[in-house]
Amino acid sequence: MNQPATANPFAGMKSRDALRETIVRWLLRLGTFFIVAVTVAILAHIMVKGAPVAFRSTWPFVNVQFLTELPSTLHVIEDVKGGRIEVEVNRADQVKAQLGDAFHSETTISYSGGGILGPIVGTALLVTVSISIALFLGVACAIYLSEYARHGNPLIEWVRLAILNLAGVPSVVFGLFGLGAFVLTAPVFVDVPADRSVFAIPLGFTTLSFEGWDTCVLSGGFTLAFVILPVIITASEQCLQAVPQGFRETSMALGATRWQTIRYSVLPFATPGILTSSILGIARAAGETAPIMFTAALAFKDKLPWQKDLPPLPADASIFAHWEQSVSRFLGIFTESVQALPYHIYTLAAKIPQNEYSERAQYGSVFVFLVLVASLAASSVLLRKRLRAKYRW
Amino acid sequence: MKAPASTSRPSLGSLLLKKQQRPFLGIDKQRAIRLFFASNSSVAIIVLVLIMLFLLREGMDFLPTYRHELETYRRAGLEFCDIINRPLAEHQALCSKLRRAASASLNTLTHTARTRRDAAYELMREVEEETRLQRAILSDALAQIPAASPEKLTRLRQEMRAATTLAAARLQTPAALTPEEGRRLQRELTLLNPEVPELPPLLAALSADYIRVDREAHATFKPLVDAVEAFEAAPDALHTLLDAMKKHARETKAHVTELHGSGKEPSHSKPVDFDLSIVPLTSGITELTAKVEEYTLLAQKTADTMPAAAGTPQAVALLAEMRARLPDHLAAMRQAAASLPAWSHSKPVSYLEVAIAFFLGDAWITNSSWQDFFGFVPLLTGSVLIALIAVLIATPFSVIAAIYTNQFASEREQEFIKPVIEFIQAIPSVVLGFIGISLLGDAIKGVSEWGWLQWIPSFPIQERLNMFNAACLLALMAVPTMYSLAEDALNNVPRSYLDASDALGATKLQTVFRVIVPAAKSGIAAAVLLGMGRVIGETMVVLLVAGNRIAIPDFSAGPGVVFQPAHTLTGIIAQELGEVSRGSAHWQALFMVGIVLFLISLLVNWCARAFVRRFELAKS
Repeated sequence: MNQPATANPFAGMKSRDALRETIVRWLLRLGTFFIVAVTVAILAHIMVKGAPVAFRSTWPFVNVQFLTELPSTLHVIEDVKGGRIEVEVNRADQVKAQLGDAFHSETTISYSGGGILGPIVGTALLVTVSISIALFLGVACAIYLSEYARHGNPLIEWVRLAILNLAGVPSVVFGLFGLGAFVLTAPVFVDVPADRSVFAIPLGFTTLSFEGWDTCVLSGGFTLAFVILPVIITASEQCLQAVPQGFRETSMALGATRWQTIRYSVLPFATPGILTSSILGIARAAGETAPIMFTAALAFKDKLPWQKDLPPLPADASIFAHWEQSVSRFLGIFTESVQALPYHIYTLAAKIPQNEYSERAQYGSVFVFLVLVASLAASSVLLRKRLRAKYRW
Repeated sequence: MKAPASTSRPSLGSLLLKKQQRPFLGIDKQRAIRLFFASNSSVAIIVLVLIMLFLLREGMDFLPTYRHELETYRRAGLEFCDIINRPLAEHQALCSKLRRAASASLNTLTHTARTRRDAAYELMREVEEETRLQRAILSDALAQIPAASPEKLTRLRQEMRAATTLAAARLQTPAALTPEEGRRLQRELTLLNPEVPELPPLLAALSADYIRVDREAHATFKPLVDAVEAFEAAPDALHTLLDAMKKHARETKAHVTELHGSGKEPSHSKPVDFDLSIVPLTSGITELTAKVEEYTLLAQKTADTMPAAAGTPQAVALLAEMRARLPDHLAAMRQAAASLPAWSHSKPVSYLEVAIAFFLGDAWITNSSWQDFFGFVPLLTGSVLIALIAVLIATPFSVIAAIYTNQFASEREQEFIKPVIEFIQAIPSVVLGFIGISLLGDAIKGVSEWGWLQWIPSFPIQERLNMFNAACLLALMAVPTMYSLAEDALNNVPRSYLDASDALGATKLQTVFRVIVPAAKSGIAAAVLLGMGRVIGETMVVLLVAGNRIAIPDFSAGPGVVFQPAHTLTGIIAQELGEVSRGSAHWQALFMVGIVLFLISLLVNWCARAFVRRFELAKS
C-alpha cells in the first residue's frame, strides 16, 4: 500500500509530475481532514454547551439534580426588580406567595425543569430487553451460519440475503412493524379478550388473546432487537470465523461431536469478541428514535417504571403475598411505557419553543446522551483492539 | 495466551465416552441442537416476511377506503366545485404578483419616509422595553381604586423619569435620522410616560410625513393600484356563487358521513339520495359558466388597461410575468367551465383512479374541513431531492477520504482518521437533527446573508430549516457507510494490478487514478447506492430539520430550490402516525407510505448487490 513515491527506480520523476502529485496528495488530505474537522467541531460544540449543565465547578462536580431527578415543567417567576427565580411545579405557588406584591410575571417551560433520570432509566430498560433478545437470536444464527451450514445450501443464501436486506430497512419502517406486530397483535394471557383481538384461544383458566402488548418496554425492546439483529449476527459470525480451523479439527479428531466442539473449542474463544461487538449493538439500540416512537416512548411521565401504585397489603399478609407483589412490581416494569433519552431530546428540540431555559435542558440531555453512547462505542473499539492483540493465532 | 479450555475440563473425556442418548421422536440430541440453530438462523427471513405482512395488514385496506372517500367526494359534489376552484387558485398567485409589483413601486417613493418613521418608533419601543417594569408599576398605581397616595405617585413618577432618562441616554441614533433629530428625539423620549397618551412631537411629525408621502405615491401610481384592486375584485361574483355551492356540497357530505359513520358498511337508516342532492349544483351550471365567462372578461380587461410601467425593474418584470401567465389561466378557467356539463356524480371511481390519486397525487392534505387527499408526490419529491443533495455532498468527500487513507496516508494518519470516521456512525441521528436546529440552521442563514455570496440563487434564504440543511447532516451520516464500503472496494483490487502498473513505470498518481480507482469503480458505485439507501430511510434528521412543509418544492427557483423546506416519506410517518386513529384512511395511507419505503430499501439493496456481482465477475 505505502509504496515509496518512486517505486520504479529507473523512472526519474519529472519535477512537474512531482509537483502535481504533491498538490493532489494535499487536496485529498484536505478533503479527508475536512470530514474529521466537521465531526470534531460538532462534538466540541456539544461539549462546550452541554458540559456546564452536567457538571459543576464545586463538589461533587456533577450536577446531581440533573442526573437524579425526573423531568418536570420549569416555572420561571420574575419579580418587580427584574430578578428571575427558577422553581419546579410544586414550589411555584409557595414562591409566588412569598414574593407577594413583588411578584411580576410567570412563564412555564415544559419538560425543561428537573433532570433526566426518567429518560436514562427508560433507555437502559429498552436497551437491556433488546440486547438480550438480539444476542440470543443473533448468536444462535451466527453459530449456524459459521459452524453448521455447508456451502451452497440454499437456505444459507436466503438467510444471508435476508440479513443484508434487514440491515437496509429504514428504522421508521421497523417502528411501523413494531406497532403492527407487538403493540397491536402480540399474544397475551387475559381473562376477557379485548375487541381488537385478532383471535383468541381459550385455555380453560385463561385466554391467549392476540391483542397486543400496548406501548411498553417489551414492545419497544422487541422492535429494537430486530433493528440491531443484523449488526449482532454479522459481528458474531466474524468472531466465530476468527477462531482458527485447527481448534475445530483437533476437537473433532478427538471424537467430540459437533456441539461439543462448538461448546468447548469455539465458543470460549469467540465469546469475548462477540460481547465486545455487541456493545456496538447497544450503542445503536440506545440511539434509535423512530422505532420506539410508537412502540414504547412517552413524552412525559412523572414516575419511574417501578413506582407503580399497587394496593397496600394488609398488615398480616403472608410472605407469599409480599413475594407475589414484588414479582408483579418487577414484571410491571416491562409492561409500562417509558421515557427514553432520544425521544426526550426530540421532544425538547421539536415540541417546545426555544429559549435559554429550554436550550440548557437540550444541551444537557444531548451531552449526557452522547457521552453514554460514545463511551459505549469507544469501549467497544478499544476492547476489540486489545482482544485482537491478545488472541493472535 | 490462555491454555485451550478443552484441556482444563476433565469432564470432557467422560462426556465423550458417554453412550449415545436415545433419540426422541426420531431426533437424537445432535440433530435437535442442529435444528435449534437452523431455526434460529431463519429468524432474519421470518422477520422480513413479518414486516411485509404486518405492513400489508394495516395498509392493504387503503385503496378501498380511499376509493370510498373519493366516491363520496364525487357523489356529494365536492369534486364539481373543485373543477372551478382549482384553476381559480392561480388567481391568488397572480394577485400576489400584482400586489408585490404595486408595493415595490410605491416603496420607491415612500421608502425614506417610512424608514425614518420606523427608526423613530423603534427607538421609542426600546425605551419602553427598558422601562417596562417602572411603566407597569406606575400604570397599576394610577389605575388603582381608591387612588394611590400622591406621595407614592410622585415617587413612582420620579423613578419613571429616572429610568427613561437613563434609557434615552443610551440610545444610538440610527442612520435614517440626522444627528440633530436623534438628539431631539432623545430629549422627547425622556418625557415618555404612561400618563401622556400622545406621541412625542417629532415622532408624530414623522408619521404625518409618511402618511402624506404615501398618499402622494398612491396618486402617482393610481392606474397600477386601481388595476390591482380591480383584478382582486374580478372573481367576487364567481366566489359568491361557488361558496354557496361548496356549502351545499359540504352539507351533503357531512350528512353522508353522519349516516355511514366512519366505516364503510351502509347503515340501516335511509341512505342519502345523491341524485336529488346534486340537483342544486348541476342546475347551476349555466349560471356558473356565465360567471366564469364574466370573470375572464373582467380579468382580461384589467390586464389590458393595466399600465406597463412601474416603479422598479423588478415590478415591471412581475407585471410582465403576470401578463404572460394570464392567458393560460383564463384558458384553463374557460376549459374547466366547458368540462362541467360532462361531469357526472354517478360515474364510479375505479381502482386505477384511486391508485393514480395516491401515487401521482400532488397534494397531501389531512384534517381538512373540505376533503382529505393523500397524494404521494410531494413527499417523494422531498425525500428524493434531499437524498440526492446529500449523496452529492457525501460522495466526493467519502471517496476522497477512502482513496487517501487507502493509498496515501501514513500508518499514523490512518490510525487517527479511521476511528473518527467510524465514530460518526455512533452519533445518534436525533443528536445530529438537534445540531441542525440549534447550530447549522442559523449558520447557513447567516452565511446566506453575506454580501459577496448574493450571486447564489435565492440567497439570502428565508427558512432556517430547509432541505439543504437536512442534506448536509444526512451527508455526514452517509459518510461512514460510503467510506468503509469504498475503502473495501479499493482494498479488493488485486495486488497484481498495482504491481503491473508499477512495472510499466507509472507514477503513483497514474496508478491510483488510472488503475486502482477504475478497477474499484463498481464497488464504489455500490457504496454510493447503499449510502443513498441509508439517507432515504433516515427519519429523525429530516423530521427535525427539513422544515416539514408538505408541498412540491417550487422548481422554478432553479438550483435555489434546495433552500426550500419540504416534507419526506419517513418524516410524515413519524410526525402523523401518533395522532391518527387506527383503521382510518389516514392511518392506512401512512402504512402505504411505509410499504413503499420498505420496497425502496429492498430495491436499493438489490441494485447494490447487482453492482457488486458485476464487479466480482469482471475481476475473475
